[in-house]
Amino acid sequence: MRARAVALATLASVSIVGIGWQLGTQAIDASQSLTASSGGTAIAATVTATTDAAAQAAVTARAAADAAAAAQAAATAATAAAASAAQAAAESGTFTGAVVQTQFGNMQVSVTVANGAIIEVTPLQLTNRGGRSVDISNQAAPILRSEVLAAQSAKVQNISGATYTSEGYLRSLQSALDTAGF
Amino acid sequence: MPTVGGDYEWMPALTFATMGTVVSLRLEDADAVDLVETVFHRWDEQFSLYREDSELSRIARGDIRLTEASQSLRACYALALHWCERTQGVFTPHRADGVIDLSGVVKALAIAEAGAALTARGSANWSINAGGDVLVSGDAGHPEWSVGIVDPSDRGELIASVPLRHPLRAVATSGSAERGEHIWTALNGDPSPFRQVSVFAADIVTADVLATAIVAGGETTLNEMTERFAIDVLAVRLDGQLLATPGLRRTV
Amino acid sequence: MSLDTRTTQIGTAPVNTPRVTSPHPAYKKRMRLADSLQILCVASVAIVVAIFLADGGAAKFGTAADAFTSLGIVAGLIGTDLLLVMLVLAARLPPIDRAFGHDQAMAVHQSLGKPALYLILGHAALLITGYALAENVNVVAETWNMFTTLPDMPLAFLGLGLMIGIVITSLVVVRRKFRYEAWHAVHLLAYLSVLVAIPHQLSVGGLLSEGAIARYYWLALYAMVASSIIVFRFLLPVTRSLRHRLVVDRVDAVAPGVVSITLTGRKLDKLRATSGQFFVWRFWADGLWWQAHPFSLSSAPSERGLRITVRGLGDASQQLPQLKRGTRVSFEGPYGLFTENARTSPRVVLIAAGIGVAPIRSLLETVSFAPGNATVLIRSHSLGDTYLVDELTDLCRVRGVELRIIAGKRPSGVSTWLPADAVRDGISLRTIVPELESSDIYICGPRPWTDAVVRDARSGGIPKKQIHYERFDG
Repeated sequence: MRARAVALATLASVSIVGIGWQLGTQAIDASQSLTASSGGTAIAATVTATTDAAAQAAVTARAAADAAAAAQAAATAATAAAASAAQAAAESGTFTGAVVQTQFGNMQVSVTVANGAIIEVTPLQLTNRGGRSVDISNQAAPILRSEVLAAQSAKVQNISGATYTSEGYLRSLQSALDTAGF
Repeated sequence: MPTVGGDYEWMPALTFATMGTVVSLRLEDADAVDLVETVFHRWDEQFSLYREDSELSRIARGDIRLTEASQSLRACYALALHWCERTQGVFTPHRADGVIDLSGVVKALAIAEAGAALTARGSANWSINAGGDVLVSGDAGHPEWSVGIVDPSDRGELIASVPLRHPLRAVATSGSAERGEHIWTALNGDPSPFRQVSVFAADIVTADVLATAIVAGGETTLNEMTERFAIDVLAVRLDGQLLATPGLRRTV
Repeated sequence: MSLDTRTTQIGTAPVNTPRVTSPHPAYKKRMRLADSLQILCVASVAIVVAIFLADGGAAKFGTAADAFTSLGIVAGLIGTDLLLVMLVLAARLPPIDRAFGHDQAMAVHQSLGKPALYLILGHAALLITGYALAENVNVVAETWNMFTTLPDMPLAFLGLGLMIGIVITSLVVVRRKFRYEAWHAVHLLAYLSVLVAIPHQLSVGGLLSEGAIARYYWLALYAMVASSIIVFRFLLPVTRSLRHRLVVDRVDAVAPGVVSITLTGRKLDKLRATSGQFFVWRFWADGLWWQAHPFSLSSAPSERGLRITVRGLGDASQQLPQLKRGTRVSFEGPYGLFTENARTSPRVVLIAAGIGVAPIRSLLETVSFAPGNATVLIRSHSLGDTYLVDELTDLCRVRGVELRIIAGKRPSGVSTWLPADAVRDGISLRTIVPELESSDIYICGPRPWTDAVVRDARSGGIPKKQIHYERFDG
């Protein structure tokens, strides 16, 4: 290879890799930011995200943690949006988070808020990074605590917990339910 | 605080104590409570290690040999051994000291028998909750039964409410906290990675046994059982993190 | 040493030899093309690294498992890119042939084989390790997991196995134990091994998942490589063979076992063949049709016909002297940079041994030089066992070229291209051709002999770009 070719090839390669690096950095930065898909709104931010319901076997705590971080970022950004659009406070809206990269795939969530409360967190995508197949399984995968907390207001007739004793029963939720039933 | 389903206000809770816990029933026909109570007491008398005079206690002490035990006890023991095999030994009907302990299946068998008796009596809508093991029955058009899963780190709160619907109409929850030695660990003495495991299954014995087995066997057992059985699982790790099977995520 | 210097130069008055040092125009043009191709090749590696980085790859080295996985992905990307470069080099693309020549392209192709294999092996090993660490299982279990649960992995493992086999059979030692045809057939499996690896790249490789721009780049890369192989290795040779309808016109005995075969056909000027190039020939006669042989043109191609001079080499090519007039011939080519296109300097030295005289003979016809600025050296065991020497003598007379026939046995134990007495007397290429610096040197002969000439020229201070050679085995 001639010196000129070596120089040009080096230059080209450095530029190309540099552009790749830059894009990569932007992708990571982008996951910190958010775009509002409807007008301004107000938020109090305890936020959650979720991995897809059909999430794969190998999603670990880490993926969920990443998703949580993403949603947290979503909430933060949404709060910022609210500050700049204070006149539109108390409106409802749906915020779509940027795509967040996790070890196991790209993840994106949308957060629906109403009157300062988050009423829904919807997973939009969870691509299959690292190749773990998504369709193998009935395997239990991490979910976020707040996801199920949203269902707390649902009406239940029975409580299931680790076995309670007859003494423990009086302090149990089941006891409260049974009493309330009368 | 969870609220009681308004649609069930006509079906008040009836409770009685047995097997060291409290059974809570919701029945259309309040008279049937005696039937259920009878079933539970019979199982308790025969299999409780808390009662010195139970058949199982006498076997544990060596007063009678297993071969001399009643047909029903031997059938129950065989069933427990069968589950021991299906869970690769993670679920075991023996205590660490070798004593036969059928408490892992007895309560569930009692619930199953009581449920079958109610159905045989022509009752279509009922729920039986024995110390957190829940079996329900509801006909079409009846409001859905929902069960709340207790948060093990704050027993006054729920982590989920899950509708119990066909085919998964039973749920059992096991934990490594309450009742200390309730579950013998299969993890070579290591503590279970789970504080609590709830298993939703078509029958209460499967739910109960697998909940126990998963707490004892950890994540390996969790994955094997969710692959092999038609169940849904909601597990709480020691650090409070939740694991759920896809079926649950859809219902939640 | 028997030296037969024929009086072929016109006159003896020293022509004012032009001390031209500026590069030959053909050289400039060729090197621009060569530079572009090399930059493209290096850039293709940079692009796959960029694809990895653009996906946020730089942030994925936090844990050991991540680092292994990321390195594995990069190794796979670069390894596959090199494989595709190798395929392109072997696809006989006209620009590559023009810039580097078939020989040099294949040398690069060979030198990339092992790095590509190591990268692909590393890709597998690193990813298995990375996944095993992430899931906290041993590598055997993880390999089994990947094999059984990931999509398209059995195919990918098949490709890896094939690739290992191909590199092993390609190692020179093993190559000599096989018939060329068998080795070549194994080598064709390379296409299969590259093909079966594609599904897992698209289904398992997160970087190339659906919707990613990288996926389309990757697919386009494969499409370009595949189409260049199909077009230039298969379609073009077939259409050219059909179009030009080459047949054997006459077969002339040159020496025992050596014949010149003249071929005629239609519109041969459209082939754009030049002196010094070779074709891969297939003669459609009994016992010969299943073998293809690379033979160089032994006279300048014209629209009237092409001529090759060949020596039977122990296989079916022994039957070539019995070829009948009218035998159909199919071909791939023309290939090679052993031509005027490789020129860098005003003077020319043409050196041949054995049947290597064939392309030298055709070059002598058309290579440009001022009379007196060219030398032909023919090396043989004895003065009598040279081929085409009468034709060469005539041509040298016409064009004003000094022709020297250097005969004599090589000394044993010394690596030289000259006879024993020449070595003893301190004779080298430089002493035979004093104007070496301002010359392009074309060498064609058996592999070890050619290498010895090249070494002699290099030790005489001649830069690589002025040395052009074509080697043959046996």
